[in-house]
Amino acid sequence: MIRIAKNLYAYRELVAELTRKDITVRYKQAYLGIAWAVLRPLALMLIFTLVKSFVGIDSGTIPYPILTFAALMPWVFFQDATTEGIESVVKNSSLVRKIYFPREIFPLTAVTTKLVEFGISSFILAALMVWYQMAPTVHILWVPLIILYTLLVSLTIALMGAAVNVSYRDVGAALPILLSLLMYASPVIYPLQLVKDKLVIQQAAGEWSDLLYTIYTLNPLAGIIDSFQNVVLRGLPPDFTSMLPGMVLTAILLPLSYRFFKWEEAYFADVI
Amino acid sequence: MSIIEVNHVSKEYRLGTLTSLKDSAKNMVRRLRKQPVQKRIPFKALDDINFTITEGEVVGIIGNNGAGKSTLLKLLAHVTTPTTGNIAVHGKVAPLIEVGAGLVPDLTGRENVYLNATILGISRADIARKFDDIVSFSELEDFIDTPIKRYSSGMKIRLAFSIATSVDAEVLIIDEVLAVGDLAFQRKCFDRMEELIKGRGSTVLIVSHNIRQIERMCSRVLLLDHGEVAADGLPLDIADLFYRRSNEKINANHKKSLQGKVHKYSSGEIELLSVELLNEQGQPTDSLPSGGTLRVRVKFNVNQTLQRPEIVVGTHTTDFFYLSASSTALIEDRPDLEVGTHEVEYIVPSFPLVAGTYCVRFAIFDQHQRKVFTGETLKIFTILPTSMEIRDAPMRRLYLPTQWRLDGVPHSSPMPAPAEAAGS
Repeated sequence: MIRIAKNLYAYRELVAELTRKDITVRYKQAYLGIAWAVLRPLALMLIFTLVKSFVGIDSGTIPYPILTFAALMPWVFFQDATTEGIESVVKNSSLVRKIYFPREIFPLTAVTTKLVEFGISSFILAALMVWYQMAPTVHILWVPLIILYTLLVSLTIALMGAAVNVSYRDVGAALPILLSLLMYASPVIYPLQLVKDKLVIQQAAGEWSDLLYTIYTLNPLAGIIDSFQNVVLRGLPPDFTSMLPGMVLTAILLPLSYRFFKWEEAYFADVI
Repeated sequence: MSIIEVNHVSKEYRLGTLTSLKDSAKNMVRRLRKQPVQKRIPFKALDDINFTITEGEVVGIIGNNGAGKSTLLKLLAHVTTPTTGNIAVHGKVAPLIEVGAGLVPDLTGRENVYLNATILGISRADIARKFDDIVSFSELEDFIDTPIKRYSSGMKIRLAFSIATSVDAEVLIIDEVLAVGDLAFQRKCFDRMEELIKGRGSTVLIVSHNIRQIERMCSRVLLLDHGEVAADGLPLDIADLFYRRSNEKINANHKKSLQGKVHKYSSGEIELLSVELLNEQGQPTDSLPSGGTLRVRVKFNVNQTLQRPEIVVGTHTTDFFYLSASSTALIEDRPDLEVGTHEVEYIVPSFPLVAGTYCVRFAIFDQHQRKVFTGETLKIFTILPTSMEIRDAPMRRLYLPTQWRLDGVPHSSPMPAPAEAAGS
């Protein structure tokens, strides 16, 4: 573990440089430039707010637009980081075939690139907080840890997915579908509290309720989104009971995913 | 001390297309049921390669297309891993396998210098220090803040080469990148390479098809052939061997393509029996050395007596450029040809052509210049290169004994003993 971290630290300049490249290239010839990075969560926020006015979702004491924006920020970060991470090795095939450096640099760079865009979105969040006159509390200091955890979740999927995608591009094609399904299984449009109320408090599914809730929270995004909203908007610490199942799952899968990636790495140049 | 060790390295690729998910699934089911699995034919790009390179050696790798040169470099650069065997490289490797890998069209020259140099493993501080040097070497000072998608291809290559050669590494791996850009820039590249090799004392591996360059720059040469190390030794010896082998291949190809191209015309009075090339001992042969004696023997039947006919024997190239021809018309007392079998020999004491494939032509005219028989490509023969051939100037057709006066001191160009037909 320490060895891996050390190795990656040695390549920090490369990651920084490749991230810079990704961002520059993406927005270079766009008039709006990096503003595009925040337009998507903003647009989704507006759509969800519109939908909410028909459907009626209980957002508690927090105004719905800012609640859903705070959900979209980690979600979009996760979604983009995972998608880009999976495509990253194939996209850089010309480098893969000619120059060696640890291949996990590619997914890692894809993820860090999205981190920059996440940083830009947070200005919008701050502006929304000013608009709704919400003051951050000390719990906002949890944000870096929550984001680091999100990053690890993305990497877990991206490492495995990128390695498989080298041989079978099906992964890249299937991913958008799976991710959009996952979005509805995550508390993006609705707050986690609704699920919790139904399953844990009302025991809506009878004796299966607690099990169902654990399964629901196996999705790391459930805990991540809820905790992000907690620490930023509600002034509460993260809800660890909703985070634990996802964390355990990630802790098991990340090393396996990394191992698989390193095993496959040797053949990237041959089959890409 | 050895810096690169290659032990029993083989690399296999599977031929054919990538297996589909369906086929992979099918194979997996078969494997589980212990049924025979559908396999694709493996192709051995490298087959049990062994060698070690000591620090400071400059090693050239030569071989025909598909001999495994690039695969070997990729293995050394750690881009891919061997199927069996192992490779140990002690030290930092700078692979210049294909200059320009990783240049991003949308970024400016400056951004690309930073990006590409970082990819090649140069630290940011070092790049900043070397930046001016890189730019001035590439002669792109005026364009450095322009996106490189607007560069010409030559400009891109110049930039890439400048970045690539600014790497400090113990082992340099260079694949056919020496000649880039226009002639003046090629010269600069070449000087830069020599400086890298001689000045820094780094270990260098070069793959090139330019045998003369390899022969000049390297201290050792490996010849690869069909994935195996066919020869390993001093540059001149190996380059010569390779030259000879390629030559044989070219000649074989020429012969093959000429086989159907025998042009013959006969009025019926003459019937050609044989055309032979003879060596000094009078034995039939297919080749002679540059500057050696050309001796052609033609046998034919005469069906009708010809009075004072004119006999012409000559040579031409494979593309029917007539090289030499001599006629018996110059001989005043030439005899008549009676009915029966006759034999004519045409001897050139020193045939002054460079190595290659040549052909014999033969013609007979009667005393009124009427065509009785003409034939081209009647005999195909090769002229073998001399042992110093690769050192000699390349653009030439004739092989002539030469004398030199260098600052008034006479030097006779060594007329090296014609090499024996090696390997044939």
